[in-house]
Amino acid sequence: MSAPAALAPYRRTPLAPFAAAVTGVGLVTAAGTGARAAWHGVTEGLAPSVGPRPELDGLPCDFFYSVTDCDPRELLGVAAQRLMDRFAQLAVIAAREAVADAGLDPALWDSGRVGIVIGSAHGGLPFYDEQHATLAERGARRVSPKLAPLSVVNGAASSVSLDLGVQGPSQAVSTACSSGTVAIGTAHQMLRSGACDIVIAGGAESTCTRLLIASACSLKAVSTRREDPTAACRPFDTHRDGFVVGEGAGLLVLEHPEHARARGATVRAHVNGYGASSDAHSAVAPDPDGLGIERALRTALADAGLSPADVGHVNAHGTSTLSNDLIEATMLRRVLGESPLVTSTKAMTGHTLGAAGGIEAALTVLALQHQLVPPTVNLDAPDPQIEMDVVAKEARSASFDCAVKTSLGFGGHNAALVLTRA
Amino acid sequence: MSTSEEISALLVAKFGTDPEALGPDVPLHRLRLDSLALEELRLLIEDRLDVDLEDVALTSRDTLGRLIEVVHVKATA
Repeated sequence: MSAPAALAPYRRTPLAPFAAAVTGVGLVTAAGTGARAAWHGVTEGLAPSVGPRPELDGLPCDFFYSVTDCDPRELLGVAAQRLMDRFAQLAVIAAREAVADAGLDPALWDSGRVGIVIGSAHGGLPFYDEQHATLAERGARRVSPKLAPLSVVNGAASSVSLDLGVQGPSQAVSTACSSGTVAIGTAHQMLRSGACDIVIAGGAESTCTRLLIASACSLKAVSTRREDPTAACRPFDTHRDGFVVGEGAGLLVLEHPEHARARGATVRAHVNGYGASSDAHSAVAPDPDGLGIERALRTALADAGLSPADVGHVNAHGTSTLSNDLIEATMLRRVLGESPLVTSTKAMTGHTLGAAGGIEAALTVLALQHQLVPPTVNLDAPDPQIEMDVVAKEARSASFDCAVKTSLGFGGHNAALVLTRA
Repeated sequence: MSTSEEISALLVAKFGTDPEALGPDVPLHRLRLDSLALEELRLLIEDRLDVDLEDVALTSRDTLGRLIEVVHVKATA
């Protein structure tokens, strides 16, 4: 019996390019809370907040890049805050900023036409972890009835919906460390399809638990540079030794361009293209040849109707692990050539896992707007194997109309966004 | 502190309830205590006053006065 024939390639008709308008930005990061403060912290290369974390005492990695300049209890109020785990609290703070930045009043918008897509890898893991300890130490009757609503990954999306009265489709996406990027790509598709006029999209994460960091230590994925934690995250550096977990939220207000135009909104940038792929290679390691992330990037560029030569800046995934940075940079060199200015802002924000794509897309919007590429601040000794122009130490002014955000997640979830200047 | 004062303090500190809104005839739902919040409050009162409220059946339609009365009976039993 002969082997079954492979399916013949189906040539679909490409969709017309669609430029979703970015009209609002909200950021909560270890480099600063609020888009203005975060941009200042990232472009000045200020050291991230490394708050004392007694829950990590004794671990090979006992540090965490923390948000220390905002108090969710004060900003949200006790009544609202008690129904959210910290990742959802940070999301609501970022969403309020993004919506205000867009000049939108939730009392006046058509709430059924507003959507939410917020990515997170671990959701309310800290509350889950705390309640598991309660179960073990005090028994079943002391376990909080809030476990399910606070620990679910959609807790950020539902909290933003409740806070702002959003009544259109709201959802979480969870693709590990590419979640925030996938969320923005999903929002782009929702606007293009006509499902929504406005979508609040990005990522949120806060997972400083002994359990998670201990596991990351066992995996040898995180930096153990305990003597100098603010210099521990050093993407593309010869002496990089792993990522540093951080917390935060980064959300965009994306609008259908006609909706933005009709209300006279100020457009900061556009999201023009999105691509996603799966490695089908490993539970944790990226495809060693970077073929998966290459497919996502090429798909995003085709979706935008743009070519590799158009790309002037890349906000890379750049986690500061040995394998990611080399594989990603080699792929970028192969697809885009050596000219785009590359950075990894994780050196200042930490790796915020499911929030990373949202935070870094927001920073890419600001880079396009300000025509300024933030530095990879701890890049002292560039890895000679990396043949890209990585902006080190100080921000660099440049003229560019198109930028790319790439993300890779455990499980082989790759995603890329193409953004352009307004 | 009396049972009433203990419960009032919990409502203000843990649920953000306006102290001015508290009163014996106020239904619990007026204090934004839904079924989830009531179960959370039950655990908090049990911990604070060392009582067992497992067999107490209250809903958001009951008043704050009724809640205080039920807890007081359990605490002094």
